[in-house]
Amino acid sequence: MAETVLQTRALCRRFGPLLAVDNLDLTVEKQQFYGFLGPNGAGKSTTIKMLTGLLRPTSGEVQILGRNLGQDSVEIKRRIGVVPEGLALFERLTGAQLLNFVGRMYGLDRAKAAERSAELLAFMDLNDSADKLVADYSHGMKKKTALAAAVIHGPEILFLDEPFEGVDAVAATTLKRLLQRFISHGGTVFLTSHVLEVVERLCTHIGIIQNGRLVASGSLEELRSGVQIAGHDHSPLTLEEIFLQVVGGAKQDADVLTWL
Amino acid sequence: MALADSNNHFVLLVLLRWRLFANSLHRPSRRAELGLRILWSLLIGIFILVTSAAFFGLTLALLKTGRSELLDIALLFILLIWQLGPILFEGYSPGLNFREVARYPISFRLYFLLTVAYGASDSVAITCSIWLLCMWVGVLVARPDLALAAAFAFLLFAIFNLLCNRIIVGLFERFQSTRKGRERIVFITLILLLTPQLLQFSARAWLNGHAFKLPSSLLPTLARVRDLLPSGLTAHIFLFEGPNALQAIAGLLLITGFIFLLLFRQLRAVFQGEIYSEAYTVHRELTVRQGWQVPTVDEVTSAIVEKELRYLRQNSRLILQLIYPPVVFLLLIFNGPVRKFPFATKPSGLLAGLAGFLLLSLPNLSYNTFGMDKEGFGRWLLSPLPLRKVFLAKNLTHGGILTLLYLVVTAIVIAVAHVDLLNVATVTVSFFAVLILQLAAGNLISVYWPKRIELTQMNSKMSSNAAGFASLLVIFPIMAIFGLIALAAWNWQLSWLPLVLGIVLLAGGYKLYSYLLDRSVAYTYAHIEEISGNLGV
Repeated sequence: MAETVLQTRALCRRFGPLLAVDNLDLTVEKQQFYGFLGPNGAGKSTTIKMLTGLLRPTSGEVQILGRNLGQDSVEIKRRIGVVPEGLALFERLTGAQLLNFVGRMYGLDRAKAAERSAELLAFMDLNDSADKLVADYSHGMKKKTALAAAVIHGPEILFLDEPFEGVDAVAATTLKRLLQRFISHGGTVFLTSHVLEVVERLCTHIGIIQNGRLVASGSLEELRSGVQIAGHDHSPLTLEEIFLQVVGGAKQDADVLTWL
Repeated sequence: MALADSNNHFVLLVLLRWRLFANSLHRPSRRAELGLRILWSLLIGIFILVTSAAFFGLTLALLKTGRSELLDIALLFILLIWQLGPILFEGYSPGLNFREVARYPISFRLYFLLTVAYGASDSVAITCSIWLLCMWVGVLVARPDLALAAAFAFLLFAIFNLLCNRIIVGLFERFQSTRKGRERIVFITLILLLTPQLLQFSARAWLNGHAFKLPSSLLPTLARVRDLLPSGLTAHIFLFEGPNALQAIAGLLLITGFIFLLLFRQLRAVFQGEIYSEAYTVHRELTVRQGWQVPTVDEVTSAIVEKELRYLRQNSRLILQLIYPPVVFLLLIFNGPVRKFPFATKPSGLLAGLAGFLLLSLPNLSYNTFGMDKEGFGRWLLSPLPLRKVFLAKNLTHGGILTLLYLVVTAIVIAVAHVDLLNVATVTVSFFAVLILQLAAGNLISVYWPKRIELTQMNSKMSSNAAGFASLLVIFPIMAIFGLIALAAWNWQLSWLPLVLGIVLLAGGYKLYSYLLDRSVAYTYAHIEEISGNLGV
């Protein structure tokens, strides 16, 4: 039986009158590449923030690697890596200084932190910019730096909030290479993304959230078998078709923007 | 139709200005912050009223007493404020980037007019216009016969100022296109602001011993320069008659025309797509050096201290704020005027004053401890270490910097003046007692009123208004306690009393520090979203 590395029970988050996440029950198993999808404002980022300690849940429970996040947050943080929504980088450090610093925050000694920083900078094609301030990096470079900072300590689970947003094709390929390598070495990835093609290609399991509720969850095959589209031929449904079917589909073009 | 469109654009621009102002009032999440901003706006309003009355009164007095030749000095003051005010008071980052406006489908003529109109709606420009209007009313009351000519002269002067200011703002925007450019401007502006004070301090003593007079040959030259400045020409237009007045009109028109052409050229380039941006040609071998190891502390604390010091090194404004008080104090010591103060009659008094001066700069450093981290605040939350450790490491860095400065200046004072050991010990113990109390208060204030610091903006403060106010609430009681201790020691002739009570305060300060540190950590965890929001995470 596969090992469960992430589990939430009745997770809720309220912002005033708005219930952003509503009784979320999630289960992610070891070595799964879990894509967490949903339309804008569905509660994806709120969920990932609660899973990583950036936001307190209003109620509910989060278990990561068999420990309760509310009680063992420091130990859990030691074993996970995160690329949050705003990247949370110290932009007044150079790329090399930042990775070095983050490595040491996670308990690496000075020599090991420097060694891994150099390896990661080389892998991410950031060699030429290693001594430039992160503030002066392009968006894609910042994303790569954030991912490098998330993996420098060798985490067991990676939480990535929109890792491919605003990233060019070359940088996206580098990120994908790193994530696939991470999975093949026994890691687990939990990511949110709007790029359905990337999710379809990378993820083994998918959860779809809408209005704070998990409306679909399972492997791509399981989702395909659970969704029926009238008039569709017998070719396998794409993730985009499944997604649109689950969240309610697109507006009819004939009814909107008649002036365009 | 075209006119209607243009009018729409101007209305939109005015509405945009208003919306930017209104939104800036909504931003602070705390009532205290909003209240202080409203109070500040009221004070500015009172300042404008008082100064406007002063301009009216001054004009009236100068014209009535036959000293009208001094009117150009008032105009020169307005000119300087109009040109430098928007940069110094509002930051040189106007709410609207006109490089972006140029990308909209508008003609160059309209773009030019919108740029100038936006400058006219600037609060400093409005204030200066009010001052000019008050001066004109002064002319109208004192010399009605000059009112028409003065109206023309002031109008031309206002147009000159408006155009000139847009050129300066345009130049600043150009420098602002790069991060390094922005930071250099902030630093240079600060140096320019502080230099006159430093010169004043150092020159005062010298002047005390030397009768200072400008060489008589220089006076006519200075007078001539004054006459040729736009302020001088403006005054001459309505104060002189005949050819002299015509000459002044021609001169001011010529300068204004020249400025118009310069602005035209500058805006044309922007309109046609001129862009300045960060450019790099760096290609170096990858070298990642090991981080620092601070003696006697663990790896993680070392890493945080290193990060804090690297951040501080980039904050030239803060470095200046830290170094400035001791430099000024030392200048005062060596130049003499400080001896006029009663506390400075003894070397121990000097040392105590110096320690106090240093501690006054601590709020800049530690009353908004996450302000420079900005988005990086989230990294502290993601890292597997207790927040208590982050606070401690930051306090260690800030306290270490202050201690180092204290040791340097103390060594200087001891070298130039004899301070007995008891007094050195008393001042040192008291210094550390206040330091620890300030750091404790700083931790709590940092999470109660966090503020995102923008190093590239002149008007971005090191801490929020509320934090500044709270720092006074911390400093005044501390000053009162030490005042009482000094008074008691003097009254009962107990020279050892301040040292003993200083040690007691230090011990109490440590206990309070520990208590407030726990409160700060608990508050942070309970208000993560609010703090993150204020820091822009």
